[in-house]
Amino acid sequence: MPALNPTKKDQKRFLSSVTPKGLVLLNIVLLFAYFILLAFFFPTGNRILFALLIAGEVFHVWQLLTFLYTIWDTRTPVPQDAAFRAPVDVYITVAGEPAELVEETLQAAQAMDYPDFTIYLLNDGYVAKRDNWQDIEALGKRYGVHVITRQVGGGAKAGNINHALAQTGSPFVAIFDADHVPHADFLLKTIPYFSDQKVAFVQSPQYYKNYAVNEITRGAWEQQELFFGPICRGKNRLNAATMCGTNMVIRRDALQSVGGMCEESIAEDFATGMFLHQKGYRSIYVAEVLAEGLAPEDFLSYYKQQFRWARGALDVIFKYHVLFRKGLTLPQRIQYLASASFYLSGLVVIMNALIPLVFFFTGAVPIVVATMLLALIFLPYIFVTLYTLRGSSNFSYTFRSLAFSMSSFSIHLAALWSVMTGTKPAFEVTSKTKLSGNFLHLVWIHIAYVALVAIGLTVAISREGVSASIMANAAWAILNGVIFLQFIRLAAPERIDAQKPVAVTV
Amino acid sequence: MKNLPPFFYKYKIPLVLGALMLFVISLSVFIFSRQSLRLDEAQSLWQTSRSPLKMFNIIAQDVHVPFYHLMLHFWQVFLGNGVATARALSMIFFIAAIPAMYFLGKLAYNKNAGLYAALLLSVSPFMNWYGNEIRMYSLFTLVVILHQYCFIKLYKTTDPARRRSWWWAYGIVSLFGIFTHYFFLFSIVSQGLFYLFNRDLFQPGDFKKFLGIIVLLMIAFSPWIYYVLKLGSISNSSPLLEAPTSVNIFNTFSQFLFGFQIDYVNTILVSLWPLLVLFGFFGLQKNKKPSSDTLYFLTALIVPMALAFIVSIAFRPLYLSRYLILSLPPLYMVIIGFFANLPPTIKKVFQILLVVLMAATLFIEAFSALTPVKEDYKAATDYLMANAKADDAIVVSAPFTIYPVEYYYHGSSVLSTLPIWDRASYGPIPPFDSATLPQQIATISQNHQNLWLLLSYDQGYQETLRLYFDTHYQRLTVMHFSPGLDLYEYKIRY
Repeated sequence: MPALNPTKKDQKRFLSSVTPKGLVLLNIVLLFAYFILLAFFFPTGNRILFALLIAGEVFHVWQLLTFLYTIWDTRTPVPQDAAFRAPVDVYITVAGEPAELVEETLQAAQAMDYPDFTIYLLNDGYVAKRDNWQDIEALGKRYGVHVITRQVGGGAKAGNINHALAQTGSPFVAIFDADHVPHADFLLKTIPYFSDQKVAFVQSPQYYKNYAVNEITRGAWEQQELFFGPICRGKNRLNAATMCGTNMVIRRDALQSVGGMCEESIAEDFATGMFLHQKGYRSIYVAEVLAEGLAPEDFLSYYKQQFRWARGALDVIFKYHVLFRKGLTLPQRIQYLASASFYLSGLVVIMNALIPLVFFFTGAVPIVVATMLLALIFLPYIFVTLYTLRGSSNFSYTFRSLAFSMSSFSIHLAALWSVMTGTKPAFEVTSKTKLSGNFLHLVWIHIAYVALVAIGLTVAISREGVSASIMANAAWAILNGVIFLQFIRLAAPERIDAQKPVAVTV
Repeated sequence: MKNLPPFFYKYKIPLVLGALMLFVISLSVFIFSRQSLRLDEAQSLWQTSRSPLKMFNIIAQDVHVPFYHLMLHFWQVFLGNGVATARALSMIFFIAAIPAMYFLGKLAYNKNAGLYAALLLSVSPFMNWYGNEIRMYSLFTLVVILHQYCFIKLYKTTDPARRRSWWWAYGIVSLFGIFTHYFFLFSIVSQGLFYLFNRDLFQPGDFKKFLGIIVLLMIAFSPWIYYVLKLGSISNSSPLLEAPTSVNIFNTFSQFLFGFQIDYVNTILVSLWPLLVLFGFFGLQKNKKPSSDTLYFLTALIVPMALAFIVSIAFRPLYLSRYLILSLPPLYMVIIGFFANLPPTIKKVFQILLVVLMAATLFIEAFSALTPVKEDYKAATDYLMANAKADDAIVVSAPFTIYPVEYYYHGSSVLSTLPIWDRASYGPIPPFDSATLPQQIATISQNHQNLWLLLSYDQGYQETLRLYFDTHYQRLTVMHFSPGLDLYEYKIRY
């Protein structure tokens, strides 16, 4: 088990990576060697399985190439005028979170070292029908800050922000979720970038201070590290920083020019960022932890958070057709599609996981090739890819992060289904306190997979004995099973190692 | 462990290393030494029984370099001939390699890693096999371990006086190395590559020293190369190797870890390769960067294999697991480096699992009659001595298998080879020619009643040969002694 109290240095490693360019080039060579041999030179087996395999591998090629393209240079200097100052409205968005939690954020916001800013508590507790909405008003009164409580709902968080925009007037708006506590230097470190009139928003990492509480918080954060480390730093180079909805500052004029925060999408931030880029605005990612938030502490909250993100991102693909949107540069189109299409990876994970199962039950295989030959081209490719991931993230990328991403295939599939069927999901704020219970129903597909592997292996062995093909397929199935077991373990009741929470301040 | 007497903790390391050495000696005495002489061993004995100059002449026409043979020659001069005596020399190198491995592991990682490295080497089925064979492979392993130790010392030592000493040690070990096996050059190439990509680890001026040593090695090695080229018959050496495939690469890994198992078991083991991907995933541990030493060992593991494979495909097949034994210590070190980054519980499980698997396969390799590399020429010749009569002919094929047969056979029958090979004449073994086969058989079988055909080391014509005898003569007996070693008795004349 990792140390519960990681050092500050360890926590910041993801922000100071250097891309190993030689390794990236080697990775590309091995990727193409693997893909070309697989797609064009190996005899095919079952055509449907082969088509599925190749479709999955095409997706992997896309994912890896866009990742490598993004992280190629993560150290692009961004110009700023350190002396630039302007009035800022600080929005703290609240939708039923406990007042004590909001109070901490509020206190930190008030303590920010900046000459001219006004704090607003955007209280959506009333429209969200939360019992504690008046607590927020009382809190605002106690601290002498403005509280804007909506009486008419709509548009979820985006609606809340847009409502506040109409009632405030500073040229810049800083936005924090209720649980994201800003550092004192937040505005000093972000506002100077706006000296460039084309900069529409400045985003900082969405760091989780409760990272070390349990396996779920660790997993949630470690997934974020790759994104807020090399990926976001790379996006800076391409003027394609992702707007994340919190720990950010937006230029009011720019936001108003796109009609405010996008209320049509569940991923309001992601879509709004894209609209701003369409208008030709610049975006900046500041690779420094300037605010600290909370990760979901239980499986259900994690599931809901991931579903919301997946649903929103897929929405962008299917609803906004990012590749064909006018105004975006080609790198921006690629970046938006790459980020959003991550949530399609669930399809590929399940497809790859099913290949050994299909073999167990039917004997059908996608390709007819000596397993050693496949190993010879696959292993160098996968190990160099893993090492590139490690190196580019300054060795912060973990097995847990990988297992969480792969096991989230069920969430991605549910989100995809929701998008395809047009089901309107409710916007739900991620719970800030740990929910306990049995969440195994959320991982039934993972449990079913493990059970089917056991049955399938028995069927296959009774059909053809212990052969090389069965062992190779069994090894693949075990690989998937071990990864899925991480999720099953965390969804089971009372399995979260609930040590005393340790807040880590960076 | 907690209740052990205090002196154990004081002398833990020598005690553990001593126990490991005792373990391999016991295995050698009670199991491996009782095995029959194998072809390669018989060749070593035959080659080293000549005078040093004649021996050089023979070895220069073979695929090896003379350091080990020279040692074996004088070893036998002082301690006497015999399989056990000759094997003891290899065992000494193997035993010496165990503490050497410990010190390498300790230098690269820590004391416990060193002990685990020594443990892996001791239970290694591959090492135990070659630690008991009259060939240069255990010496090669020892030299490679020392060479790697010196190399790592070069970039870990900062004191100039000590560095000078390590450069000397590095140069001397390299000199022994290039005269131990041609593949030792791959070890130097690996280190050169590692240096190129990790120059910041070294001191200014190291490149010149490295180049200087290479030049000196080339000068020292050039007379031998000149001699080999002058004789010009290295390309005729037998047995001939086939061009390697991906299977050979995975078999090498499998053999380094689990020794020589029957094809079925080996196939099952290598088919589990996707689990390597899972192990790779497990290796993704937060803030755990592979050390420079692990990266060096990875280079020393992969580069020789890759070079041997490429050369085998592009020029001449020379890919053999035993030639690549120089990659075995780095493989174990890479595994240890990988384990070091795992969470403690998983690390312990993997460590125990690996040792248990290696020990189990070691015992299977040692005790199973089906072990594919076993060559029971002793049983075959014992049988011949008991059953072949003075007027019988004994024919062995492939021709070079005459060495172990000749070593054991002291009966009265005439020994010949097919194709007929006159070892006194200069040049390679004559190729098989089906057109002249009847004539050769007629020459051999002249005046003999029965002919015993001992087939092993199929060079591509074994089945033709057997079918010829089966269709032209009456087969009386068939005996199987070990994998690929079969004896047939034919009635030649009535």
